[in-house]
Amino acid sequence: MSNNSTIIIGGGLSGLTCGLALAKRGHSVTILSGGPSTLLFSGGSMELLGAIDGQPVGRPLDAIPSLPDCHPYRKIGTERIADLAGQARELLNDTGITMTGDAATNHWRITPMGITKPAWLTLNENFKIDDLNNLPVRNIALMAVRGFFDQPNGMLAQGLRDLGFEVKVIEFTTEEISSLRRSPTEMRATTLAKRLLSQNALQRIADQVNALAGDAELVLLPSVFGQKNDDSVQTLQSLCHKPLRLIATLPPAVAGMRMQAQLLHYFMMLGGDYRTGESATGGIIENGMLTGVTTLKSGTTPLVADNYVLATGAFVSRGLAADERHIYETVFDLDVDADEDRDHWTRFDVLEPQDYWSYGVATDESLRCFKQGSRVENLRAIGSVLSGHNAIKMGDGTGVSMLSALAVAQDILAGK
Amino acid sequence: MTTSDTYSTEYDVIIVGGGVTGAGTARDCAMRGLKVLLVERNDYSTGATGRNHGLMHSGARYAVTDGESAAECIAENRVMRVIAHHCIEQTDGLFITLPDDDLEYQQTFIQACQRAGIDAQAIDPAEALQLDPAVNPDIIGAVRVPDAAIDPFRLTVANLLDAQLHGAVTLNYHEVEGIIMQQNRVTGVKLFNKLDGTHVEVHGHVIVSAAGIWGHRLAQMAGVDIPMFPARGALLIFGPRINRMVINRCRKPSNGDILVPDGTVSVLGTTSDRIPLEAIDNMRVTREEVDTLLAEGKKIAPQLARTRIIRAYAGVRPLVASDDDPSGRSISRGIVCMDHAQRDGVEGLVTITGGKMITYRLMAQAATDAVCAKLGNTAPCTTADTPLPGSDTPADKQDNDTTRYSFAQRAAIGRHGSLAAKCDSQDDIDNALVCECEGVTVGEIKYALKDLHVFNLVNLRRRTRLGMGNCQGKLCSCRAASLLALYHHDVKRAQVDLANFLDERWKGMRPVAWGDTLREAQFTASIYQGLCGLDTAINQQQGQQEDKA
Repeated sequence: MSNNSTIIIGGGLSGLTCGLALAKRGHSVTILSGGPSTLLFSGGSMELLGAIDGQPVGRPLDAIPSLPDCHPYRKIGTERIADLAGQARELLNDTGITMTGDAATNHWRITPMGITKPAWLTLNENFKIDDLNNLPVRNIALMAVRGFFDQPNGMLAQGLRDLGFEVKVIEFTTEEISSLRRSPTEMRATTLAKRLLSQNALQRIADQVNALAGDAELVLLPSVFGQKNDDSVQTLQSLCHKPLRLIATLPPAVAGMRMQAQLLHYFMMLGGDYRTGESATGGIIENGMLTGVTTLKSGTTPLVADNYVLATGAFVSRGLAADERHIYETVFDLDVDADEDRDHWTRFDVLEPQDYWSYGVATDESLRCFKQGSRVENLRAIGSVLSGHNAIKMGDGTGVSMLSALAVAQDILAGK
Repeated sequence: MTTSDTYSTEYDVIIVGGGVTGAGTARDCAMRGLKVLLVERNDYSTGATGRNHGLMHSGARYAVTDGESAAECIAENRVMRVIAHHCIEQTDGLFITLPDDDLEYQQTFIQACQRAGIDAQAIDPAEALQLDPAVNPDIIGAVRVPDAAIDPFRLTVANLLDAQLHGAVTLNYHEVEGIIMQQNRVTGVKLFNKLDGTHVEVHGHVIVSAAGIWGHRLAQMAGVDIPMFPARGALLIFGPRINRMVINRCRKPSNGDILVPDGTVSVLGTTSDRIPLEAIDNMRVTREEVDTLLAEGKKIAPQLARTRIIRAYAGVRPLVASDDDPSGRSISRGIVCMDHAQRDGVEGLVTITGGKMITYRLMAQAATDAVCAKLGNTAPCTTADTPLPGSDTPADKQDNDTTRYSFAQRAAIGRHGSLAAKCDSQDDIDNALVCECEGVTVGEIKYALKDLHVFNLVNLRRRTRLGMGNCQGKLCSCRAASLLALYHHDVKRAQVDLANFLDERWKGMRPVAWGDTLREAQFTASIYQGLCGLDTAINQQQGQQEDKA
């Protein structure tokens, strides 16, 4: 049996990571992308494991053995996780996504609302704190873009003050910014990033920063620079007299959009085949093997490969869906781990962990999928479509996406 | 807002209840020259006023079973089209007969409508389908009636604003804890101010209970018993809107047989279940209610089966058994106005209840007449002829050249009528949209904060429709919370407020959490909890409070 080609269904973080790891080794990879991915929410951090039962996790690798057996990390194997985490970081670096952090020890990312959450990797340009008892600076100038509502500056400033920083909020605008605000709807982080590319536009921002930042040791700006790479950030820093760091905004987020673009760019450079707008519609499973994938574009002629990887995401990305009676997987109607009684999918209070967040496709230890109780030998699942984890409450979403993708790529390359 | 003499004034009348009936009574009393205080324990229009169909009945639905109510409805329907046109979408309604229904009922129905003075015209089923393509194509009969859609939040606010313009004082978040009595006379109320945690007493000559289903508790405080029969009704909101007209089923009123268009959405209702008095504060919609409504709704408009259910909600009708029928077997939906001096020997207390949302003005008139009789005031009622603020320009003379206005300006004019001019639009930031689904600008939020008794995001939603569209507050709630944080200079409060707002949205989504609604819920949780960590902030705040305790 040949083992040279793989079709990955889904072009978000997990699909691209898996595709990159395979393409790097000369494997033939096609990614079918059905639409935008949840990477677009990302503020520029990856999380391996952020919390268990509501308590923050300081040392994720140490905490993984205490996770239940059904968690994807436990299926992959605790001893493999540290190695895969190292690979993930290298792979991000290869694409030009420069992040710092450590799988052994979490640092703190600052959320758009000024709240601290544990993180594994964070973009170098973003503000992060290693030790809350030992702040890197004292005086901060929080530069607020006038008329930009997707960064709640009041909350952000208060959150930073609660941590012990002296924060001065300084509102500013430039020609480019105020002309964008003339539209009632266009003032979003991603449109700002498009407007703030030229040297002149960046110079005008730097002029404001240099004039207004006063005695601050550090200047914080919203993450609205650099849609394709971090060149604009580097330029802006070179024009400013004080060190700059960025703070994530509400989505659509520039950091996420940029990471998607960089991963994709590198995948294409490696000769990968990325097809946008190719929503997978199904496929035939015979004798425990998937024989091909049909898409909206392919009609009835299936696309065929040796291996298939399902990376379609959870409900948000429509990899999973629900009707009045069931939770189901949307492409192949694979077996899912989910309660059959709709009253058990959710909880009454909005801030409680909702059960459906942990639902997903059922897999074995090798992340192979099942259909009507039978294992499908050449179909594996990765990322948010997997059951047994909880990105929202446990902070394990991006970690599961990257590490399950790398584990599956490794197994495919090894012919397992 | 309270001033130093808000509580010390001796009022002619204190109205308890900030639904549309209380607001209408405050307006009528104030217009007749009385010194008026209105108190509401929560926000305005949180009871049955904010939990009904938003249907401006023509009366046709009651024509066969309750001719008196039907006649009241059509009379008030005509009044509302003049005095409250900015709260109304003039859709007209259809009463359709399905193959399962008895077509002979149509004749009974039309005759009953005619007796009540309702213009009901049988039309060809094909014409009905052309008028509203959402109607089930299998219909065998159709009748056109002057039903319409009405926004009860807007209607309540317009009445409150007019009451204030005539000198009334209105306080939300003031709960009545007790009634002050001297011998057999009610002389005031004990209030708990939920905003600052203080307890105060306010005095007045007459107390009007316009507290809906909660009126029986108020009456009990004065030692009076009212035989209330709470009838709970559940409804489903579908989006985007599928129907142009109000679609009713032409049969005896039953479950899930009315579909009302409401701005950007369609509302299907209702169920009707007698519930015990102890259960009136439980607004959780049950699985059975959802399934019943869905099954029936698909019959009148099959497209509902393929339309997203945005949320579910329930309200309680304040029905009262007449005094000569304490069993409640023949409960009317008509207006009940009780002078407790005559009925129970308690002077200075009037209860106004029963009725329909659309007959609120008549109810207010009856209550005000009773108050005026006690006070010797002979001023006539003028509420039927005086337009409400926002409708002071007649509908046909309104500037219809909407091409000059932006989407948000049109939306604001729709919500506030001529008062939309009060929304700041001085610069690009005032004109910027906070809620893109419903077209709510920064300027409109500033106006609502200043003039419309807004303390939190849920209040803001009721005044402006922020967060009520298809996305149910996915991004706009954070933007609005951020504006409120700046306005109140209180970030912690804004975060709690934001969590409460998201919880209030979720309560309505949970009973119908599948399809795109479940997807939106995960999306919202990913942003507010996953990305932003709002849950962490709330847990920390609760932890700090427990530490202090």
